[in-house]
Amino acid sequence: MTIALEEYLVVAAVLFGIGLYVALSKRNAIGVLMGIELMLNSVNLTLVAFSRFSESAVALSTQVFVVFIIAVAAAEVAVGLALAMVVYRNRHTVSIDEINLMKW
Amino acid sequence: MDSVGFHLAFWSLAAITVGGALMVIVSRNLIHAVIYLILSFIGVAGLFLTLSADFLALVQILIYVGAIAVLMLFAILLTPHAIRDNAETPMRYPAAILMGLVIAAGAFVALETDWGAMRDEAIPAQARVIGESLINHYVLPFEIGAVLLTAALVGAIALAREDEEDVPIHRDSLAQESLAQEAPGGLPEAAVAVAPPASGPAAGPSSPSAGGPSAGGGA
Repeated sequence: MTIALEEYLVVAAVLFGIGLYVALSKRNAIGVLMGIELMLNSVNLTLVAFSRFSESAVALSTQVFVVFIIAVAAAEVAVGLALAMVVYRNRHTVSIDEINLMKW
Repeated sequence: MDSVGFHLAFWSLAAITVGGALMVIVSRNLIHAVIYLILSFIGVAGLFLTLSADFLALVQILIYVGAIAVLMLFAILLTPHAIRDNAETPMRYPAAILMGLVIAAGAFVALETDWGAMRDEAIPAQARVIGESLINHYVLPFEIGAVLLTAALVGAIALAREDEEDVPIHRDSLAQESLAQEAPGGLPEAAVAVAPPASGPAAGPSSPSAGGPSAGGGA
């Protein structure tokens, strides 16, 4: 059995599923952010695997795309954690069950 | 990619990645969850190395482990112990079903699709090619990314900082309110202090508007 594109894609799919579960089910807002980071990581893994095994002449463009994804993830987690701090300061909780001020 | 060492590296790194992610679900303490998340990030960086993406592996270590995970640890440590639990909402049952469906669909597509011809050897000198394309072909997204990072950091600072101007004003108004409660007659404190303590019995009727505690202290 040789290790090729499929094995990496399966690992990335499992990682994406776990990240989806964490983002949907965790009570803590920081836990939800952790799930989103896991999903972004699995997408990065998929892109790098395609970049390694693709025969296209511009296969490294996907790695440039991964660099942009990492930059956006850093911006997202900075703003998300600042929001969590503000919510905690105003409402003394970061539980997403109790942050329901804007809920319909 | 058939050598025993490569198999060992891939399967152990995949186990580290998936196992770390699973421990993020299982661990009850949020700090432990972040530690396992760091382990999963390191596993992904190792998988990047097995894919010959050396530049991205280093970027992964630097940014995810060095910046994002440490930022999460700081955010958790700045909140008290009581909200550090990593419990789950009742959404976990549909979320678990959705996780199973997503994993099954992803694995099915990955294994059943005919991906065609594969490249045998990795592209050499990847960091140089990525750097050149970042400043040639992708220079506009590069600049937009720089602006996005600057805006996000300015926004994060503006959100997270305390309003330092408001706090002393708030304290001053609180102090004035407590002073007004100590002298219910509305008298300034100086007028109460001017009243001679020796003429205690006379001070009572002469200043009927003075509060009870100050009159008692004079007598």
